Amino acid sequence: MMSTASIVIALLSFALGALLALLMIPILVWLERRGAGLIQDRLGPNRTNIGGFRLGGVVQSFADVVKLLLKEEYYPNHIKKGRGLLMFAPIITFVSALLAFMVIPFADNIIIDGESLAVQPLPIDYGVLWYLSIGSIGVIGMFFGGWLSHNKYSLLGASRAGSMMIGYELPLGLSVLSLVLTYNSIGFNDMVHWQSQTLFGFLPAWGMIVQPLAGIILIISLFAETNRAPFSVAEGESEIVAGFFTEFTAMKFALYFMGEYVAMNTASAVIITMLFGGYQLPWVDTELLLSNFNNFAFSLMLVIPIFVFIIIKWMKKNNRVRPTVSSDGGRAFETKVLTIALTTMTILVEVILIVLVLFPSDLGSSITVMLFQIATFVVKLMMFNIFFILVRWTLPRFRYDQVQHLGWYYLLPLSIFNIFVTAIVIVIVGV
Amino acid sequence: MGQRIKTVPRYGNTLKEKLYLPAIYQGMKITFKHLAQNVSDSNAIDTLEYPEEQPTDITSRYRGLHRLTHREDNSIACVACFMCATACPSNCIFIEATPREDGQDEKMPSHFSIDTLECVFCGFCVEACPCDAIRMDTGIFSLTGNNREDFVLDKDKLLSHKGAFGEEKSLARK
Repeated sequence: MMSTASIVIALLSFALGALLALLMIPILVWLERRGAGLIQDRLGPNRTNIGGFRLGGVVQSFADVVKLLLKEEYYPNHIKKGRGLLMFAPIITFVSALLAFMVIPFADNIIIDGESLAVQPLPIDYGVLWYLSIGSIGVIGMFFGGWLSHNKYSLLGASRAGSMMIGYELPLGLSVLSLVLTYNSIGFNDMVHWQSQTLFGFLPAWGMIVQPLAGIILIISLFAETNRAPFSVAEGESEIVAGFFTEFTAMKFALYFMGEYVAMNTASAVIITMLFGGYQLPWVDTELLLSNFNNFAFSLMLVIPIFVFIIIKWMKKNNRVRPTVSSDGGRAFETKVLTIALTTMTILVEVILIVLVLFPSDLGSSITVMLFQIATFVVKLMMFNIFFILVRWTLPRFRYDQVQHLGWYYLLPLSIFNIFVTAIVIVIVGV
Repeated sequence: MGQRIKTVPRYGNTLKEKLYLPAIYQGMKITFKHLAQNVSDSNAIDTLEYPEEQPTDITSRYRGLHRLTHREDNSIACVACFMCATACPSNCIFIEATPREDGQDEKMPSHFSIDTLECVFCGFCVEACPCDAIRMDTGIFSLTGNNREDFVLDKDKLLSHKGAFGEEKSLARK
């Protein structure tokens, strides 16, 4: 018999997972284009707006989706067999990336009426296995697409994707293995719990600090797994047109494209959960927040207005045009409305926090802590996504043989070496 | 005579360079600096918000859209000598001559049109003109139209263009 609370939390975390994965796509596409522009001293897309509201240009992504949906459903004439599978291939890639995201804990298990409920769309305690197995299915979609396109470039791209997958799945799995040895668990939530300890009393016991080599190998392998630069050889435009999705158009192409961003988002989530403390801030774990709820609420009451004030100030400075531009295109109005909205929300949050301090209840404080942890998770996720984008616009693409060389000759032996060292240390320390 | 051998240094063999991560860190530092600077003040980015912002760096030597100049009495300066049409490498100037009745010159064009879709904006017509009657100093760099005919500029259109740099009248025909 499931209690109401467990059903509500399950639905909420499922909605949150879907939202974080799907709503992140337009934001990431926008962030990528805008970030590329800003890194290269350009502006990036900043014009598309709905009634003057451009939200920094993020409306562009929605316009793009509308365009892709309305495009002609073009179908290459030379493809005679396997049409159904060709249509299905992008869906495989997209869905596998989406499902792999669903085992990430967004906050610590919330305790309601003595019942511990996981804030995780799929509340399973073998998340690492789920991620490794489901996450690697995506390449099957790429391979179907490349093979059934009957195009040499598609086939080359697909075979590159496949061999990259094999070359990097091994170091990825082995580095994850050494992390599993360290944390003594295959559940993501247990890993985050382990990381909320401290080392020597002051260092946060983040995976990146405890296992730096495994951390670096994991990050590099995930870059290769998600087909991101500098390992984006599977779609090297300069050599093989667009790789496995050369023959794909309209929404079929968009599914591959969006799947890539979902995979990147998933990779970021896995990296922060396994290496950077997940939803926890360093030195502050859930028990500490719950037992010192009043101090926590007071510091939130202080930090949130400062944060919002900085955002509003930044918006007023940047959401306007230079004096030489004839029209501001409704930017002043947008700034005004957003300022009012942000201020109202801040006041609302302050009032809620004051009420929670004045009338303490277990439920209220645990929900506040949960929301705070979700916010921490989202901020960390965005920071790592920006890191992915920064790397893409910094590094040139590796040559295909260099990618293979790096994977097989350096990362694989290093990760095996790391497992040995980890195992020896664990045996000696006797955990 | 001693041999002059220059030893070219080879890079990429030290451990630091082979690790590759320090180089990535260096590169990321540069890109992040640009990102942070531009996020904190996006209006300082040196780009033009075209079309709301128009370029201000067009000099008098810029070859813009053509114009036909006027005399002091605002009549056309052109004497229909066909020098420009002869010099034109893309054959895009079409002139029909007619006798000039007001006694200032013998001839003037009855039709004068330039097909800007053919024009390569080389400026040879301006060089060839003995009467300073055709110029490219309008500073107009953009021409739009809905069909091909819109891009064939006729005499009235060419006469209506203003010089952007102060010299309005022809300097060779008073």
